[in-house]
Amino acid sequence: MRGDPEAFGSLIDRHGLAARRAARAILRDEDDADDAVQEGMLAAWRAIERFDPARPFRPWLMRIVVNAALDARRRSKVRAAEPVSETLESGGLGPDRMAEAALLRARIDAGLADLPERQRIALVLFDAEGWGHADIAAALGVPEGTVRSYVFHARRAMRQSLGTLAEGMK
Amino acid sequence: MTMSPFDNQPDPELGRLLREHLTGPAPEAFLRRLKGAVLAEGADQWDVLAGWARPRVLAAAIAAGFLLWLGAWFGDMSRSSDPGVTMASSLPAQAVVSGQPPAVDEIMLALRERDRR
Repeated sequence: MRGDPEAFGSLIDRHGLAARRAARAILRDEDDADDAVQEGMLAAWRAIERFDPARPFRPWLMRIVVNAALDARRRSKVRAAEPVSETLESGGLGPDRMAEAALLRARIDAGLADLPERQRIALVLFDAEGWGHADIAAALGVPEGTVRSYVFHARRAMRQSLGTLAEGMK
Repeated sequence: MTMSPFDNQPDPELGRLLREHLTGPAPEAFLRRLKGAVLAEGADQWDVLAGWARPRVLAAAIAAGFLLWLGAWFGDMSRSSDPGVTMASSLPAQAVVSGQPPAVDEIMLALRERDRR
């Protein structure tokens, strides 16, 4: 892996989209998030010599990506949440279902936007990516108990944002 | 969606919604772009090293040559500015090279020079 771009490429295949989702949980602007992921991946590539192979790779990589996204967020200050795209893919849904899907997306967007940054990251990594509390704690540099608290509060807030809407989308 | 805040397991339904929402468009193209950036960076490192090495080595050689020339030039200047010192310091070498004994005034000059130091 060290100094081997092809080997690092396979790691990008494995973790790239999770990194993108985490960056999007931090940066509401899609292009900024993609730039932050690229910046983080390149930083990881340059720092690969310093990676301790005895430790798990994923939290190390994600910590770099999350830091890159947090830096980008600090640089760009606080951005307003992006409006929900009007070009939703219908996926064969009828007008009622499309409207419902658009409403659900809007609620998710608003719910995520209302969450404090670290709660949002913890929620996405835990529920969307299936990370354990320990890995999230390592990526965020906080104690495991803090991550449990983040997930608890984030879920409660998302439940209030989504209400019963998500039930109808199954 | 269970989504109890007390659940210790990931909520699959919430996870699916979040993944759909956050993955973004064209994920394959995004991954290709990322890999391309790393490949370009990997190539760049060697290009930068190769590009750096040749002119720097040349510049170092030129600088070393210039310093040697400068040192030799200053050495000549200091020797030519004081003929007595030049003569005194080169006296033993002259004696060895020429094979002739030095003249008396040359010996006196060398002794005077040694006392002056």
